[in-house]
Amino acid sequence: MTGRERVNLALRRKETTRVPIGEIGGGYTDVIIKAVLGDTYDTGSDAYFKNHLNIRQLLGADIMGARVAGPPVEIVGVHEDWGTETFRDFWGAIHTQPPDSTVQLVEPIANTPEALKAWQPPDVSSFDKSQVKRWKDSTDLFIMATLNAGFDLGYELLGFEQFMMWTVQARDTMRGYYEKLIETNLNLAIMSADAGADAILIADDLAFNTGTFVDPTYLRSDYFPLLKQMISEIKKRGLPVFFHSDGDLRTVIPDLIDCGIDVLQSCDPNANMDIPTLKGEYGKALAFMGNIDVDLLANGTAVEVEHTTRNLIRDARGGGGFILGTSNVVASYCQPENLRAMYTTANKELK
Amino acid sequence: MTTTSDAIQQAILLGNVASISSSVNDLLSKGVSGQKILDEQLLPGMAIVGDRFKKNEMFLPQVLMSAQAMQTAVDIIKPHLIADSDSIPSHSVVIGTVKGDMHDIGKNLVRIMLVGAGFNVIDLGVNVPPQRFLDAATEHGASIVCLSALLSSTMNNMKEVVQAFRDHSDLKETKILVGGAPVSRDFSESIGADGYAPTAPAAVEQIQLFLSNSI
Repeated sequence: MTGRERVNLALRRKETTRVPIGEIGGGYTDVIIKAVLGDTYDTGSDAYFKNHLNIRQLLGADIMGARVAGPPVEIVGVHEDWGTETFRDFWGAIHTQPPDSTVQLVEPIANTPEALKAWQPPDVSSFDKSQVKRWKDSTDLFIMATLNAGFDLGYELLGFEQFMMWTVQARDTMRGYYEKLIETNLNLAIMSADAGADAILIADDLAFNTGTFVDPTYLRSDYFPLLKQMISEIKKRGLPVFFHSDGDLRTVIPDLIDCGIDVLQSCDPNANMDIPTLKGEYGKALAFMGNIDVDLLANGTAVEVEHTTRNLIRDARGGGGFILGTSNVVASYCQPENLRAMYTTANKELK
Repeated sequence: MTTTSDAIQQAILLGNVASISSSVNDLLSKGVSGQKILDEQLLPGMAIVGDRFKKNEMFLPQVLMSAQAMQTAVDIIKPHLIADSDSIPSHSVVIGTVKGDMHDIGKNLVRIMLVGAGFNVIDLGVNVPPQRFLDAATEHGASIVCLSALLSSTMNNMKEVVQAFRDHSDLKETKILVGGAPVSRDFSESIGADGYAPTAPAAVEQIQLFLSNSI
């Protein structure tokens, strides 16, 4: 059975001999890929494709995340504190990537609500969808096209604190902002569907480990109706929708179901998002992906990882609707032997 | 009838910067001391905010706006606090995200809550090496240091900071509080920190506990 078939069966609530396994997005950082592939790590001009395919074949993973790609970033200067290049993304925000760190916002797309109101998103019609098509046509992996919606991307481009305060102080402007971001991401989703993606993954962090960033009633009135429209348009193309958010989402899971999502991904055990429990409550309406703590892969032992993986599979596989993965992606600081333990256990734990 | 005092607490809860400015100036013009405004209006107001946030009755945007209103009021009364020789000096707390880690949402939330609780907060930002924590604690006479990390890899750098304080002849008694998504009570004990806070309101409570135990 191919990875694509295995995931599709799980989404149709069919139990497969072994559970589908995979990660969202690129899934594994380059540090991890090098550690796992060792001498077979490729450094040629097609290294990304070959290495990501090889690690999935080696681990027995079923899923690849791919994106419709925008133009290259524009280098605009050097960060005065970190000495790293600053660059403008295609949305117009300026970022930098300090050494050993994730990308940081340097200059938001707007500093006033008036400027945000005037801001226009990019035209994505000329973006490159060839990678999505290539993964679909030349592998039997389940191809999940990754994009955003309006909330997480919204604060990535505005800065977290400014974004949060404007949800109250400039409510109409923010609603217009969500509409622009969602319309643009919907266009990316349609292009991904045209390129052959098997599913759309909407990455949209809404919560801390203790609950949603903003009042759920605000999400219900100002954001979820727009997200629902976006998902409805995607589903007209026949694609299932995965939704990624970190944190404790329990107060809004019924809302996300109403928006039309098919799979909830992340399900971080540190945020009380236990998949066997959630399946008991929402399993008819929703499938779940994730639930292996990234910190366990970083700081646990291979024996602990094996034990946790086996127990999770046994508790969550019943009736399908479950895809094993980490609760985020396999970060550089994870231990390669723990990653191997997780995937080896999953591949051995047959029905 | 709404009094000016009620209006200040209301402005804190609503995060109304314009209203709090006029109310605080009104009280000052009537001869009310800055310390009295701080102790009887501002700090109790932010305590309510912290409590409501903890109970999910207030959310991040509202807390940020309350903190902004609080900061506006503190900026207005600060010259009066300095001029008032009877003022009780606020405790200084140094806070930062440890070396290698650029995440600041949780750290900023703790800073906001601490400012709201009346502490003098020295925020060192992100990617802070151990020596900068030592230097800031010395410079500001801080007896409390808060360390934040989001990543499993960088939380191990907290141990280096704790050790640097314990090895320092003048700073070894500094109370060190740790927090962040991957951090746990067990981890905090294993590196010799004095406390662990799973949430921003819990950080304020833990620091207040440090202080009450030290009196």
